[in-house]
Amino acid sequence: MLTRTQRYRRALSIAAATGAIILMAGCSGGLGSDGDTGGGGGDEGPIKLGMLAPFSGSESAFGDYMKYGAQLAIDEINADGGIDGRELELVVEDDACDATAAVAAANKLVTDGIVASVGGYCSGATLPTLPIFDEAGVPMVIPAANSNELVKQGLPGVFLINGTGTQQAEAAVTYAEKSGATKVGVINDATSYSADLAKSFVDQGKAAGLDVLFEATVTPGESDYSAVATQLAKEQPELVYWTGYYQEGGLIVRQATDAGYKGTFLVGDGSVDAKFAEIAGSGYTDNVLGTFTQTPDMIEGAENWIADYEKLAGGAPGPYSTQSYDAVRVVAEAIKDAGSTEFDKVVAALEGLKDFDTFAGPLTFTDDHTLSGGGFVIVSIDPATGNFVLKDDLQG
Amino acid sequence: MQLIWNGLIVGSFYALVALGYSMVYGIIKLLNFAHGDIYMLGAFAGFATLSAFGISNETSIPLLLVIMLLSMVTTGLIGVGIERIAYRPLRKSPRLAVLITAIGVSFTLEYAVRQIFGPNPEAFPVRLESTGFDFAGMRITGAQIVLVVIAAGLMLVLAHIVERTNSGRAMRAIALDPQGAQLMGINVNRVIATVFFIGSALAGAAGVMAGAYYGSIDFLMGFIIGLKAFTAAVIGGIGNLYGAMLGGLLLGLLESFGSAWFGGEWRDVFSFAFLILFLTFKPTGILGARVVERM
Repeated sequence: MLTRTQRYRRALSIAAATGAIILMAGCSGGLGSDGDTGGGGGDEGPIKLGMLAPFSGSESAFGDYMKYGAQLAIDEINADGGIDGRELELVVEDDACDATAAVAAANKLVTDGIVASVGGYCSGATLPTLPIFDEAGVPMVIPAANSNELVKQGLPGVFLINGTGTQQAEAAVTYAEKSGATKVGVINDATSYSADLAKSFVDQGKAAGLDVLFEATVTPGESDYSAVATQLAKEQPELVYWTGYYQEGGLIVRQATDAGYKGTFLVGDGSVDAKFAEIAGSGYTDNVLGTFTQTPDMIEGAENWIADYEKLAGGAPGPYSTQSYDAVRVVAEAIKDAGSTEFDKVVAALEGLKDFDTFAGPLTFTDDHTLSGGGFVIVSIDPATGNFVLKDDLQG
Repeated sequence: MQLIWNGLIVGSFYALVALGYSMVYGIIKLLNFAHGDIYMLGAFAGFATLSAFGISNETSIPLLLVIMLLSMVTTGLIGVGIERIAYRPLRKSPRLAVLITAIGVSFTLEYAVRQIFGPNPEAFPVRLESTGFDFAGMRITGAQIVLVVIAAGLMLVLAHIVERTNSGRAMRAIALDPQGAQLMGINVNRVIATVFFIGSALAGAAGVMAGAYYGSIDFLMGFIIGLKAFTAAVIGGIGNLYGAMLGGLLLGLLESFGSAWFGGEWRDVFSFAFLILFLTFKPTGILGARVVERM
């Protein structure tokens, strides 16, 4: 006797086998899929790209920014006739910035038959999904998550098109030196992204001769950070680097200022969001700067792109809209170059990209699959709107 | 000194929430795990009222007090409603059933708020003026003073109700002996409803205060503070009102010193370790043993 689940599974596998046979029969030459691409989705129908992003939880604001950015690129490519006549399709799943949810969602994407992943926002949630995509033969072009841990695994299919923590920390150190700060501090929130960025900042800062006199870790999700605020006011580093997200960042800025801290508050890209100023409150953001990859509103000549985005999303683009847009274009370009959706060929094509035009400048991957140029800039908060605006592009 | 002051500020939030915990436990022996979410509801009730009137970025104390009163009435009524719907039908059931129901209520509230207000943290539209000044080696802000005064005021009012009024007397009587109290003509259901109203109103007030002081609210904000308030109630002696106040302040101080010594990421480890220590060595809490009459 088969249980209901077993019967269901058996029916499924028969259906899958039938489908595979039909597909293989129809696969005479063409793109030459060898059937071992795992979730390659065959050569019929749309090419599915999967995206994991947070649509719930504390980081949910970013999910839509990423989704619409990617969708915009897909619409444009499809309007141009797709890739060799095949349309692209975006499959979105919610990872809630949570490892458990992300693993489940990644498995779902693989079952859905995606050929590449263009998602990944929280490094902590993206990390456990890497082996799942790797095993399924799905290359990943990660638009937002940027922990060094992601590429340290040495998986062949992982590419980061957002600068890594190392590159972001480098921008922070460069700015500290440029502004003449010698005594610096760093606060992280114990998440993988944040701790990694903080460590990079400390290592590079020390190497550059900065005096790191303050290092602290806080627990995300609390309201009261008076302990770290008090310490900050006592030590008074000229510049303190907050590497966590905007909710805690806004609270810490406010509480540290109230406690009497007077230095510059530099925040990482996870905190760069208009909500930051709202949470910190008016009058608390004069000394707040951020390290950030450029967003469309900071880029000259992006007005048309922004208008297209607004038409699609019904709202303004936000952080990682452009990166997600670029991730789709990078993957599409690689699939086109490879002439196949097969894992090895796509990966080789990604590695072979040279000066591909993206929002963050010409893109070429280094040997460890990160960007050859970081593209990080320094942003500050516009007191009138609370939005982050370009302050210093760190060029020269 | 600064550590003590920081601890007292956090402690006053814990104390306000712990009072409701303790009162409910004192009278019907229920650990109301949804109590922290009432605190969250208070913050969101204030947020909704302010948004409805289109108020943003104000720093007015009278306005805050009005909003707080409105939120207190709202959360008070919600508390009574929860008791009526979720707890009263189970009053004769095993204690475990009620405990699990309380956890269910907690999730219901959290995710209902998420559905209504969305999952993102919201900025609270009214802020307290927080220009600071230095006093006796401490950095004190106007907001903190307002906060402590309001918290102390609420606790005094509560003490007055419990000690001096008829319904307070009735509460103490039920806490001591529910059947006996009923025989003496006390309307037990009404008194329990009153207790839920007062406890929930206090938590709601704390929620609004937290919104105005910290400036950011989200739908899970009640979870940790609920556990902390429970810890505070245990440390002070659960079921004892003065114990709840003392426990709240003490827990605030412990955390403040704990995070200064071990670092901020150890704060929760430190306070919940204390909960375990207390449960192991002095389960009745600091004031639990001395005071026979509970309420």
